[in-house]
Amino acid sequence: MTPPHDASDAPTAEPAEAGPGPHAGPALELRGLRYRYPGAAVDALAGVDLAVAVGESVAVVGANGSGKSTLARLLGGLERPASAESAVVCGHDLLTDDGRMAARRDVGVLFQNPENQLVAQCVEEDVAFGLENLRWRPDDMRRRVDAMLARFRLTDLRSREPHLLSGGQKQRTALAGVLAVPRRVVVLDEPTAMLDPAGREEVLQAVAGLRADGLTVVLVTQEMDEVVGVDRVVALEAGSVAYEGGVSGLFADTALVRRLSLALPAAADLALELAARGRSLKPLPLTLDELTTALEASG
Amino acid sequence: MSATDGMSLRCEGLGFSYEEAGVPIPALRDVGVELPAGRSLALLGASGSGKSTLLQLIKGLDAPETGRVVLDGCAPDSPGYAGLQREVGIVFQAPELQLFATSAWEDVAFGPRRLGREEAEVRRAVDEAMALVGLPPEEFAARHPYALSGGEQRRLALAGVLAMQPRLLLLDEPFVSLDPATRRQLTAVCSRLRASGVTLVLATHDVDIAWTLCDDLLVLEEGRVLASGVWDAEGSGRALRSTPRLREPFLVALWRRLGRDPARAPRTHAEAAEALR
Repeated sequence: MTPPHDASDAPTAEPAEAGPGPHAGPALELRGLRYRYPGAAVDALAGVDLAVAVGESVAVVGANGSGKSTLARLLGGLERPASAESAVVCGHDLLTDDGRMAARRDVGVLFQNPENQLVAQCVEEDVAFGLENLRWRPDDMRRRVDAMLARFRLTDLRSREPHLLSGGQKQRTALAGVLAVPRRVVVLDEPTAMLDPAGREEVLQAVAGLRADGLTVVLVTQEMDEVVGVDRVVALEAGSVAYEGGVSGLFADTALVRRLSLALPAAADLALELAARGRSLKPLPLTLDELTTALEASG
Repeated sequence: MSATDGMSLRCEGLGFSYEEAGVPIPALRDVGVELPAGRSLALLGASGSGKSTLLQLIKGLDAPETGRVVLDGCAPDSPGYAGLQREVGIVFQAPELQLFATSAWEDVAFGPRRLGREEAEVRRAVDEAMALVGLPPEEFAARHPYALSGGEQRRLALAGVLAMQPRLLLLDEPFVSLDPATRRQLTAVCSRLRASGVTLVLATHDVDIAWTLCDDLLVLEEGRVLASGVWDAEGSGRALRSTPRLREPFLVALWRRLGRDPARAPRTHAEAAEALR
């Protein structure tokens, strides 16, 4: 595929999945990031420290209101931080207007509610929307849109009006639109919340594919089963990082899980019920496969 | 909460289409439902299978093109039908978007006042509904709805429907976007409603919560009934295995993996742990 046309703000590299070329340093590095909504009495983000390496996948979890969606918006350059010692995403300083504008290009954000993200008259126009704004050449745009429609199984729906889609179809259209523009980082804010089991699996597989392509993925989720499999998990509590580390480390600390309004994956929850009745499974199983194996092994 | 005389529901041959560029797109085709009073029904199906449309027809927000919705044995042309429809509560997806009053208490009071209830009765119903959803009025009554967290807003919106004391409650994806703790609280609220006798229809993609809450099952596929009746993992529940876009409850899948009889799969993790200890 040839690069998009010569508009001064167009990306300069091949529109591959991994985005417009590498940059030095971590994908994102935040120190003491603060944000407060206008009129609010407390900070929504009260000093977040977080570093994510290029190509890493990180899940962000936490109670409703803990700051997850606010963090997602800030990472996408959509809000101005109140303050930070440092807030750099893909090499762009989020504390400056120019940095935030540049971050908007490199970071794709998919929000919780696809209703707010669908703007065009039909599905394919919606997927093309970001590319049109970047003034891609029509041939490149058509190829890119076709590929995105196929990837998210939207080809048969390409002419349909977005408001006639089901919730799952809308979310897949929004995701296709976000990913149509080449990105370095994708921030997914509960991308599967409204999808049926197959749609959820489909999006999670697509996300796994993006990781394989070298994209940095930040997955905000309330689904504990989705946390299993990411490289690292970050738990927010009242706007601060309360846990950062491995997935099994988080779920091993049941008191912390409860305090953070989280839950254990189903397999781990059942294993703890069993442990309370004298049958202990170690290590703690996190998936149905692991639970089945552990139960069979322990007779 | 006080005992409720649940409402029975029967849908007969329901058909409905949406229009796209002048062409009808069928959403429901010949859908039948039989739900005795006080039972709970899981409404499962892929995105776009017609779940939300069915709930809207049951509530009477749209008129079916074919068939009819029978409430408590009364057909739509019966004199008391409009009154019965008012006793059907519906909680839409993301109901918090409909909060509008300047205090939590006033928001919940809007529905029962609109039904013309006496003020003393409104007060009782609002206080009870707020307590039931875990937003005790002594703490939350004066709070501005927009100052509540997402999970609190969802529960407040549910309280607004419960304050109208529905005898049949329709819930459309009530657990979406809630944190696990809030989901547990809401599941407990549904469980209490069920125990109180309210007839419950729960449209959800969360098959595990549905499995803990629901006696009966209706599986829709492209607007048609694929399976219905008492939710038996080896009977009506087999449709969840045979439909590529759906899945079985975790505990049924576990029982199958372990070579145990899926028809006897437990409904809760505590029951499962008892059986496996």
